[in-house]
Amino acid sequence: MKKIISVALAGNPNAGKTSLFNALTGSHHKVGNYPGVTVEKLEGFVDHGNLRFKIVDLPGIYSLTAYSLDEVVARDFLIEEKPDIVVDVLDSTNLERNLYLCLQFQELGIPVVGALNMTDEAEEKGIKINETLLSESLGIPFVKTVGTSGKGIKDLLDKTAALVASKNSKAAEHAASTKSLKRQEPLQKVPQYGEEIESRLAPLTKLIESDRAFCDRYPPRWIAIKLLENDENAIKKMQDHAKGQEIITKAESDRAWITGHFGKESEIVITEQRYGYIRGAMHETLIQSTSGRASFTEYIDRLTMNHFLGLPLFFLIIYGIFKLTFALGEYPAALLEAFFGSLATLAQIVIPEGFFRSLVVDGIIGGVGGVFSFVPLIVILFLCISILEDTGYMSRAAFLTDKALHAFGLHGQSFMPLMLGFGCSVPAIMATRTLKSPRDRIATILAVPFMSCGAKLPVYVLLAGTFFPKNAYNIVMLMYLGGVVLSMFSTMLLKRTVLRGPSTAFVMELPPYRLPTWKGVFWHVWGKTWSYIKKAGSIILVASIVIWAITTFPQPRDEVEKTQVFAADFAVTMAEASQEERDLAVERALDEYRLEYSIAGKIGKIIEPAIRPLGFNWKLGVALVPSFSAKEIVVSTLGILYGSGSEENEESESLRQALQRDPGLNPLTALTFMVFILIMPPCLASLAAIRSEAGGKWMLFQVVYSMTLAWIVSFIVRLIALPFLGA
Amino acid sequence: MRLSDTRPGTAFIVDKVLIGGEIGKRLADMGFTQGTTGHYIRGAFLRGPLQIRIRGYDLLIRRCEARLIEVKI
Repeated sequence: MKKIISVALAGNPNAGKTSLFNALTGSHHKVGNYPGVTVEKLEGFVDHGNLRFKIVDLPGIYSLTAYSLDEVVARDFLIEEKPDIVVDVLDSTNLERNLYLCLQFQELGIPVVGALNMTDEAEEKGIKINETLLSESLGIPFVKTVGTSGKGIKDLLDKTAALVASKNSKAAEHAASTKSLKRQEPLQKVPQYGEEIESRLAPLTKLIESDRAFCDRYPPRWIAIKLLENDENAIKKMQDHAKGQEIITKAESDRAWITGHFGKESEIVITEQRYGYIRGAMHETLIQSTSGRASFTEYIDRLTMNHFLGLPLFFLIIYGIFKLTFALGEYPAALLEAFFGSLATLAQIVIPEGFFRSLVVDGIIGGVGGVFSFVPLIVILFLCISILEDTGYMSRAAFLTDKALHAFGLHGQSFMPLMLGFGCSVPAIMATRTLKSPRDRIATILAVPFMSCGAKLPVYVLLAGTFFPKNAYNIVMLMYLGGVVLSMFSTMLLKRTVLRGPSTAFVMELPPYRLPTWKGVFWHVWGKTWSYIKKAGSIILVASIVIWAITTFPQPRDEVEKTQVFAADFAVTMAEASQEERDLAVERALDEYRLEYSIAGKIGKIIEPAIRPLGFNWKLGVALVPSFSAKEIVVSTLGILYGSGSEENEESESLRQALQRDPGLNPLTALTFMVFILIMPPCLASLAAIRSEAGGKWMLFQVVYSMTLAWIVSFIVRLIALPFLGA
Repeated sequence: MRLSDTRPGTAFIVDKVLIGGEIGKRLADMGFTQGTTGHYIRGAFLRGPLQIRIRGYDLLIRRCEARLIEVKI
């Protein structure tokens, strides 16, 4: 049995952590989530000698403050789980800022090994690092690595194993030599903050050490530093300390002293001292020969971030992605649709007529199959997006769009999720994870459903095509534009009310352009696609069955009598028509009667008074009920309601004629209905995504909010359009 | 003068981050500390974010954050 050593793999974003993780663990890893949050947790194993390293990939962070969700996750993991070793991945081309994080790990009292990653890139840039000297001066073993090629991996594992061995021997020594209460000497040295700060740190640390149980959980010096940095999270932790109040008071007076002495906030002073310490260590170990020549990245940025060309180029790229997604995705999507179609036919042959067949064909295959047909589109879309992300273009997009989005209370990084929303809200909501501030994230999540997704398009096409045959295209475009405008104003409203709060800083790294690796892109796309498929297989499946059930049950008992009544009626009203046509009419009337009798029909009748002011009759009310599970179902429900069977699509002529025949429907109602569909709560899959990304509270908020907004806006649109379209 | 008052293409030396708290701390964490040399590379269309090169890497900050950084030319 090998000894298991837990290793936390940490580092700055863009330092090549993922590729190093893959190089270390091969393909032996599993994906999970950190408890309670949606930050992904990767775990993998690698054997080395008689040790087995269990490597946990921490999210990429810049510092150990509690600034972003990622930082909180990383920090909690290091403090609560106490891994044996931290392997810090550093970008060699950008060592100074990367060391800033490295030192904070050292401060936590967990032994650190530094992987000087991207050595190849650094050498190309003329940066030479003397890792032996650097190791000596900081007291951290450093190894040069190249994650993408696997260079230096063995050396890294050797150094990690050596550190484990020395940690163990120190611990044994400590156990053997003393039974006194003296605390264990730290394994590695810690950063020094200069005389003035240290003179404040020492007594504060001593005071914290007075509670031994507390110190077993949190490293005292680290807590002392965090208190001087006015870290809210650390202050909260002091509640568990026997002398908590005394210590907080002391830290406050220390902070005041530092501010008075240095003329700036103590947290700024500590940061400056830390960088000063790094400068000192780097002075002799790093040689940078600058060529004066503009880099490759700089040349491209001159175009992509150009004052005038940047934005047009950006829109061209976005347009290209959409074109590619829908043009290329159409073929596999059609294949999948055909597959589910033949599956339905097969089920119709194999399963005897009855409820079970109806459940399988109309409920399960119809519902889940419809959602699965979007998978190829999602794969292509995410392929393009992860390439944009891995090359570094995404930060340029944030640069270009931040100003416009910020005016409405969003963020440069909100752009991509909003764009994705035109395809499908589910991946769009998942894509908001890149946003650091929870408020910005929630604002973006709540704005996404107003982007008309692919499922709303069939509804627009059907209604616009039927009631605005001359202007169908323009009306559909109007819906899309209206959604965008509405999302912006909705965000403005929310940011001034429920999401009010101080604006968070927009401080974002602009990494150099890098070639994406196939592996990286693959894992990215696979992860997103798989979670989409899982949702389709679980929530959509359940929802499809529920919708099927409420549109099917209860069944009228007087079907036979009704059939005779309808037949007699049609024999009079359709006297000239053929027997076949009359039979069809009876069948349609029966379908409508069954639906009216079902739970869905009853719900339609119940909600009719509420939607009457919008001009909707009970049939439109019925169509709204299943639209909660997926918007495209509106089309097939209208198909059933208007008696042309569920095999309808938006291009169907008979459905269009049937819709036009209904005196309750006119261009005004159709327009109002489209607006309502645009704004009303998104489909169940999206709501599930909102719940998992933002929490159940925000999901409920989204439902109530968008329902209210849909009603109000539809009503206003109806009032405005009334003089133009007539009742 | 403030970083937001400098012109694109100029170098500057950080004198002081004017506020503490979350935003000031973040700016300092990212490398804006006294005496550090930086370059204001370019700004986005319509007074959008600024591209700043500092400590050997590039980052984007908004104009409102640049206003919190006192610099010398």
